[in-house]
Amino acid sequence: MKLPFIHRAPDEASAPGVHPTPFWSLRPRTDRESGDAVVSNFMLHWFPAKVYKPSLDWNYSFWLGTMSAALFLLLIVSGLPLLFLYVPSVERAYQSVKDIEYVVTFGWWIRAVHRIGAHLMVVAVVLHLVRVFLTGAYKNGVGAGQQREWNWVIGVVMLLLTLFLSFTGYLLPWDQLAYWAVTVGTNIASSVPFVGPEVRELMIGGRTIEQATLIRFYVLHCIMLPGALGVLFAYHMWRVRKDGGLARADRAAVLPAARTTAPVASKTYTLLGVARGTAPTVRTSSLDAPDLTVNAVPDLARRAMIVVLATFAIVSLMASGIPSPLEEPANALVTPNPAKAPWYFLWLQEIVTDTTIRIGSFTINGAFIGGVVLPGLLLTVMTAWPWLDRSPASAAGRWFPSDRRRQNQVFLLIVIVVLVFTVIGMFLRGPYWNLYWPWESWPDIPGRI
Amino acid sequence: MEKRTSSPYPSIDRPVLAAIGVVLVGATAFFAYSDRQHDYKWYQAEFRSQVAEKFGDEKAAGVRAGVQQVWIPGLQRADRCTTCHQAVAWKGFEDAEEPLRTHPPEILKAHPPERFGCTSCHGGQGWAIDTAAAHGEVAHWEEPLLSASLGDAYTMGTNKGALIQMNCNVCHRYERETPGAGMINRAKALVEEKGCRACHVINGRGGTIGPDLTAVGEKAPEQYDYGRLSGQQTAFAWHVAHLKDPRALVQDSVMPNFHLSTTDAQALSMLVLSWRPARMSADFIAGVPRADVQTAEQKRAEDEMKTGPGAWFVQTGCFVCHSIAALGVKSPAQIGPDLSTAVDDTQKRFGMTVDDFIMNPTGTMSVVLTRQIVLDTEQRKVAIQKLREAFAEHQKQQAAGAAGPAVVSHQPGS
Repeated sequence: MKLPFIHRAPDEASAPGVHPTPFWSLRPRTDRESGDAVVSNFMLHWFPAKVYKPSLDWNYSFWLGTMSAALFLLLIVSGLPLLFLYVPSVERAYQSVKDIEYVVTFGWWIRAVHRIGAHLMVVAVVLHLVRVFLTGAYKNGVGAGQQREWNWVIGVVMLLLTLFLSFTGYLLPWDQLAYWAVTVGTNIASSVPFVGPEVRELMIGGRTIEQATLIRFYVLHCIMLPGALGVLFAYHMWRVRKDGGLARADRAAVLPAARTTAPVASKTYTLLGVARGTAPTVRTSSLDAPDLTVNAVPDLARRAMIVVLATFAIVSLMASGIPSPLEEPANALVTPNPAKAPWYFLWLQEIVTDTTIRIGSFTINGAFIGGVVLPGLLLTVMTAWPWLDRSPASAAGRWFPSDRRRQNQVFLLIVIVVLVFTVIGMFLRGPYWNLYWPWESWPDIPGRI
Repeated sequence: MEKRTSSPYPSIDRPVLAAIGVVLVGATAFFAYSDRQHDYKWYQAEFRSQVAEKFGDEKAAGVRAGVQQVWIPGLQRADRCTTCHQAVAWKGFEDAEEPLRTHPPEILKAHPPERFGCTSCHGGQGWAIDTAAAHGEVAHWEEPLLSASLGDAYTMGTNKGALIQMNCNVCHRYERETPGAGMINRAKALVEEKGCRACHVINGRGGTIGPDLTAVGEKAPEQYDYGRLSGQQTAFAWHVAHLKDPRALVQDSVMPNFHLSTTDAQALSMLVLSWRPARMSADFIAGVPRADVQTAEQKRAEDEMKTGPGAWFVQTGCFVCHSIAALGVKSPAQIGPDLSTAVDDTQKRFGMTVDDFIMNPTGTMSVVLTRQIVLDTEQRKVAIQKLREAFAEHQKQQAAGAAGPAVVSHQPGS
């Protein structure tokens, strides 16, 4: 279908209420044109026309989903120049990153934005998931045909994609940090029973991390995973609209019934220029409660803009202040001590160590428990949770509702345990995975000369 | 704008959005400014003014601005050192302070920078353009600039700048003498003098008691055991300490203590660390020897010994460490005592007969006879017989009253 293109009429005098500015020059002359202006407006289809006002509150959603999307956008935009500069070959990758770091104009900043943006995206996506769980936002409310549970499943898949995107990007600089983090990560995968080694071989394209791994991770990182995430993101947003907005918006329907005000006869209503009359023919809960809704443009758009730009500003400032590490070139013969997985997998590495029990010569392999059973179980239960949660629909879209208290407590406990293990792995584990308190210094890292 | 909803947000959100806009502009200005900040700009301006002062404005206009680099695809090196060190090829800055000093021209005739770059010899991180990173004095860069200040940190004695000779020897390793590499030459002489090849393979030749040292310079610093080393934890410091007293670092080492001076230990450590593969095509190392072969003199002496009265000792390999003066066998290393008097010596040193000692040796010889020279019982009997013959010959020479050849007696560490 060809969308109508609305031309500006330059010789016409400005009509009252119409602002002939260089960027917004729409002056519809018929109702049909007005309708088309709405139909063809990208912003009005990105967002609904009207939004339940409390959905915009900072302290309900904390805008974590918007933040994740902003970071994804930033990662795509900052990744594009890196595509021109980075060479995905084991001989050249490290050098090309050195060049990006030292001599490409703004190269260090672009790389830092990409790196910090990636770390923050993992954080934002996880926090978004935590928020959605705690507010029961995966639950269907009062709307007909809602399928919020499937949007939760899509969200879980998007979290996995985010982690895998970050993990594949981790290898690309081809330094010691990259090489060994991916070694540890893929070794955990190899503890899957029966097919473990095959899974690892599939992941890294061979039995050792080499050129085949690099190109595999590169293509996944630059094309496959961002593409998949982009498609799922679009569907995720679409589903939010189809499910009636944030779960919180459903609360509007259960509020005391809006007063029945008779339509004002003097006003003319038109539906996209197709139908015309003196009364609206469509009744929706949002139109019923004009004081409970705001226009998406500008109120929602402005807030979204605040979140997106603030995210950009924070990442930019962090990128200017925090240098991106680049260790020695990857060396399969020298294992750094300690060799750590990327930070978001450190809780798994920590559990792997803690569940590896040696009794004499008998070893219970922790990689299977910590690397496969536990995360697999958590993931399965988490994905299926919307169907397991039996709380009433009224518990959706609220922070800490009393009828979901128990599950929220258990969920928070799991989150805290994961967090504690992550912190231990990040900050308290030194050489030989020994425990070092922050005030204890690690042994010196030896140098050559 | 016309008020279309009862939204209370614009009054808060508009100023917030404006403030974020300002922060964003500020953040952009900040990184753009940071990106322009480099020491080299100052040095380039300084050099230009110095050139103007010495040679006039016309010459100064020819001084290059911006990042400079020497890109050598064959070495996979992009050396940007000349971004600051602009005077390298200029005459007239011989006495200037670094980084604006003329490079000594003689060495550049054989090693033009456009062919070899800078870091091949000097070390450091050619990719970088800021001082600390470029000089490699940062974490995660293992090839620091081999400068006098680094030599100073190692108390390199009179020749603080000598560390750079390590990199000379990556290409010149098979030369006996390299002009200008005094420390390395000294170390090479020590290798012959102390007979390191008795136990170690060096440049493809030598014994197997100790580890093969052909590529020991490649060994990663993390792979050394620093447990008993005090002070700096570097491969270089480890080698210096180890050469001065092997058993202080590796308790069960059989390597003898040669009581080397600090300078000798440093020279040898430099040599040892220089033994790493030169990753470059052959045309870069044209004109230097490609193998370490015995000299004609050495070969002739060895051949003579192989056919003389002490032939058995030569063929068995004893002569690597021991001379047998009475039979005219001279060890190149002379690590162990002269075997002419072994029959007598075993009594004095170990309190046992030579028969018992050969059958059940102790100390270094137990290692040698299990790993280097493996003899079965029959062969050991032959050895005892040969030692007795040598002793008889020795006594005969002594009795003859002639000034018999002086018995060289080295005390090994055991």
